[in-house]
Amino acid sequence: MDGQFLLDAMRFVGAGLAMIGAAGAGVGIGLSVQGALGGMARNPDTYGNLLTNMILGVAFSESIAIYCLVIAFLMLFKVV
Amino acid sequence: METQKRTPWRRWIVLVLMIAGWILAGIFVPVRPEITVAAEKLIEEPLIENFLGQPFYLVNTLPTLALTIVLLVVIAFVANRSLTKSQKTDLVPTGIGNAMEAILEMLYNLTESSAGAKWAKAIFPWFATIMIYVLFANLLKLIPGFESIGVIHHAHGEGHAVQHMGGVDMILPEKGEYILSPFFRGISVDLNFTLTLAVISFVMIQVIGVRAQGLAYFSKFFNTKRMFKVPFFGAMDFLVGLLEVISEFAKILSFTFRLFGNMFAGVVLVAVVASLLGNVSILAAMIMMFELFVGLIQAFVFGMLTMVFMAMATQGHGDEEHAEH
Repeated sequence: MDGQFLLDAMRFVGAGLAMIGAAGAGVGIGLSVQGALGGMARNPDTYGNLLTNMILGVAFSESIAIYCLVIAFLMLFKVV
Repeated sequence: METQKRTPWRRWIVLVLMIAGWILAGIFVPVRPEITVAAEKLIEEPLIENFLGQPFYLVNTLPTLALTIVLLVVIAFVANRSLTKSQKTDLVPTGIGNAMEAILEMLYNLTESSAGAKWAKAIFPWFATIMIYVLFANLLKLIPGFESIGVIHHAHGEGHAVQHMGGVDMILPEKGEYILSPFFRGISVDLNFTLTLAVISFVMIQVIGVRAQGLAYFSKFFNTKRMFKVPFFGAMDFLVGLLEVISEFAKILSFTFRLFGNMFAGVVLVAVVASLLGNVSILAAMIMMFELFVGLIQAFVFGMLTMVFMAMATQGHGDEEHAEH
């Protein structure tokens, strides 16, 4: 087992490990949608306002997952 | 009364296009493109040296940038002419002028509802410009030939074979020594573009904050208000203010990587799905549709976050005074 092979293998392992962070983002998005939907169900008049704020919150959580994805891509495509 | 039966001929076009896509993808097998984070060079030699003495290459996001700007200018010109014409006749805008007016009015109402009527006028141009610009940049990849027509280079790593067919070179799935650099690459898939927009947005957030509050804006970052009255909590406030500086600069980072990461992930996803599944091209088309949705959402989010941060910068944090009681 030479060094290059180990390096390649570890690159894939690292990319996989980096994506663990997406789990947290998934929980975050789920919670914010849950809150927004609950609010909408109780008070349908606030639909538009809640929707824009929900999308903002979802984008914040999603960006965490995207950071993980970028790191995973950087490892997979040997950028660094 | 006999109603004339409409012939639904439009849906047949969709079906024909789907079948044509399936057959074409069977003949010209999709090739996984070279995925690079940086934009590819169209010409190997640098065009000129820039003011820092660094070489300046013609990369493939530059033609897209020019295309986006030309398209936006043309749309602005046409909308302007349409609105001027409607102003002369009956004040009812039609066509593209009407569409632009509807969009801008919606955006203005959104700004007014979250920034207040006083600052909406100062904030709105940045919000709308960033949003429409990013939206166009993201939707431009609908144009056929985007990221698929370009010049062929010698590969540095692994490449593909090339077939010469009727004056056009075609990339084949087999291994070889050539790669393709497309003429057009989405500008959001370039860190320079997103970083520039993020820095513009960041600077303008500070500028609007200073315009609204004067030098008191910076007391958010260097908080010495309570330092001498309540020493312990005053020191805590000061440290929290320093953290605020860090989170202010983290805005640049998150703006940059949110847009870049989303669009880059989209490109990779479409490329991987298309090349893995071969001639089941309809799936790649569906992923592409999802990516258009993501592009819309990201444009909205970029503009919206800029607007919300600007609105937050115009309001000093009045809750500090409440906390004292």
